[in-house]
Amino acid sequence: MIIFNNVTKRFPLGNTALNEVSFEIADNDFVFLVGPSGAGKTTILKLIMREYTPTAGKVTVNDLKDLVALRRSIGVVFQDFKILPDKNVFENIALSLKVIGMRPAEIKTKVREALEMVNLSHKEKVFPLQLSAGELQRVAIARAIVGDRQILLADEPTGNLDPKTSWSIIKIFRKLEGKRTIIIATHNTDIVNSMQKRVFVMKDGKLTKDIKKGGYEL
Amino acid sequence: MNELLTSIRRTPYQSFTAFLVLFFTLFLSLALFTSLSFLYGILGYVETRPQVTVYFQTKTPESEIFRTRDQLVASGKILSIKYISQADAFNIYKNLNKDNPLLLEMVSADILPPSLEIYAKKPIYLPEIAEFLKKQPAVDEVQFQKDIFDRLITLTSILRKVTIVFFAYLITMSIIVLTTTTLFKIALKKEEIELLRLLGATNFYIRKPFLLEGLFMGFTASVVSFLILAGILFYLSPFLGAYLRGTPPLILDLNWTQLTVWPINPTFLAITFGLSSLFGMGIAAAASFLATNKYLKV
Repeated sequence: MIIFNNVTKRFPLGNTALNEVSFEIADNDFVFLVGPSGAGKTTILKLIMREYTPTAGKVTVNDLKDLVALRRSIGVVFQDFKILPDKNVFENIALSLKVIGMRPAEIKTKVREALEMVNLSHKEKVFPLQLSAGELQRVAIARAIVGDRQILLADEPTGNLDPKTSWSIIKIFRKLEGKRTIIIATHNTDIVNSMQKRVFVMKDGKLTKDIKKGGYEL
Repeated sequence: MNELLTSIRRTPYQSFTAFLVLFFTLFLSLALFTSLSFLYGILGYVETRPQVTVYFQTKTPESEIFRTRDQLVASGKILSIKYISQADAFNIYKNLNKDNPLLLEMVSADILPPSLEIYAKKPIYLPEIAEFLKKQPAVDEVQFQKDIFDRLITLTSILRKVTIVFFAYLITMSIIVLTTTTLFKIALKKEEIELLRLLGATNFYIRKPFLLEGLFMGFTASVVSFLILAGILFYLSPFLGAYLRGTPPLILDLNWTQLTVWPINPTFLAITFGLSSLFGMGIAAAASFLATNKYLKV
C-alpha cells in the first residue's frame, strides 16, 4: 500500500513541485500518472522511492521505514534509463540482484527469465552502445522487474519511442499486471486511453483527478 | 578479483599513484623500523657490558675491596657486582695475548690491579656510583661507560622522535593522496554509485570495492617494499657482519617477547613484513573509508 497524505514538495529555490497531494494505491494496483511537463509526476515517483523527502505531509510505502529495505522493494524504470555503459546487458540487469546479495547461480537464472520476458535473450552479452533506444528501454525494464520487487515505477517508459516499440514496452507491463503494484508516469494518451486503468491527472503540482478506470486528454 | 583488476585497469594513473605513495611510505617506514631495531639491539648489548669498572691500587688488601663492594651492594642501586682479583686479571690478560709471548713475558699478576665490575639497576645511578668510588682511598681509576651509553640513549631517543614525526607526516601525506585518488575514482563511478543506491545497495556494498582495492594496493606495496628492503639487508649483511664481529646477537626487547635483530633472523623478517602489511593495508583502508565517507555522505 502506498499512501500520500497531504504531501507537499518545495525545492530550496522556492518552486513547489507538489502541493498537498493525497492518494492511496492498493497492492497490485495499476496506475497511470498523467499530466503536462512540470505537473509533478516525476516528483511523486521520487518521493515514493525516497529520492526526495516531502517538505510537508507524509509518504508511506508498505510501512517500510528503512531506506535500503524500501528501495529493495521497488523496481524503477528511469526516464534516462541509467544503463551503465561499461557493463553488458546481463551485468546491468544482474546489478539489481547483486546489491541484495543473491548468489551467482540464482542471479543467472533470474536474469535469464527477465531477459526472456523482455525478448532480449539473444543480447545478454551485448554492450549498451550497441543497442537501440527501444532495446535500452527493455533492458531498463528487465532490471526493474528482476528479483520480484513488489512495486514497479516507470518514468516515461515510452518517451521518444515509436508507437510500435511503445506498445511492445506496454505489453511487458501488462504481463506483470496483478502481480505487483505498477505506477507509470507518461504523456502517451493512446496507451492510457486504451489500457483503461486507474489514472491520476496532475496539473501544477496538484492531483486534479483520480479516474478509477479510464483515460484522459491532454 | 576480476572486478578489482578491471577497476585498476580502468584507472591506471590513479592506481599507480596510490601504489607509489604506499610504496614510498612503507619502504621508508620499514627502513626506519629496521634501523631503530638495530639501534635498540646495540643499546641492549651495551647495557650488558660492565657499566662501571673500578681498578684498585695493586697493594690493596682484598678485605678493603670487599668492604667497598659490600657498601655498594648495601646502597640498593647495584644489580650485580663481580670481583676480578689480580690472578683473574692475569688470566684474562694471558688469554687476550696468548698469541704474543713477548707481552706475556713482560707482565706478571702482581702488576695488574684488582678490580670490580659493577652493573647498576638503572643508568641514572652510574654517576653517583662513580663519584662514590672515586672518593675511596684505595681506588686507582674508575671507568664507566656513561658517555657511550648516554650518547646511545640520546641517539635512540632522537631517532625515535624523528621517526614518530616522520611517520605522522608519511601517514598524513599518504592518507591525503590516497583519499584524493580514491575520490577521483569515485567521481568516475558517480553514476554507478547513484544507481546502486537507488537499487537498494547498502553503504557497505558501495564502499566494498574501494576498500578491497585499497587493501590490495596496501598489501602489494608492502610486499614490494619488504622484498627490496630484505634484498638490501642481505646485500649489506657481509659488511654488517664484519662491523659487528665479536658482538653477541643483537636482541630487541619488546616486553612480550625478545626478537633477534642480528644476525638476520626469519622471525624478525616475518614480523617486519606482517607489521608493514598491516600498516599499508590500514592506511589504504582508512583513506578509502574517508573518501567514500566524504563523497557518499553516508
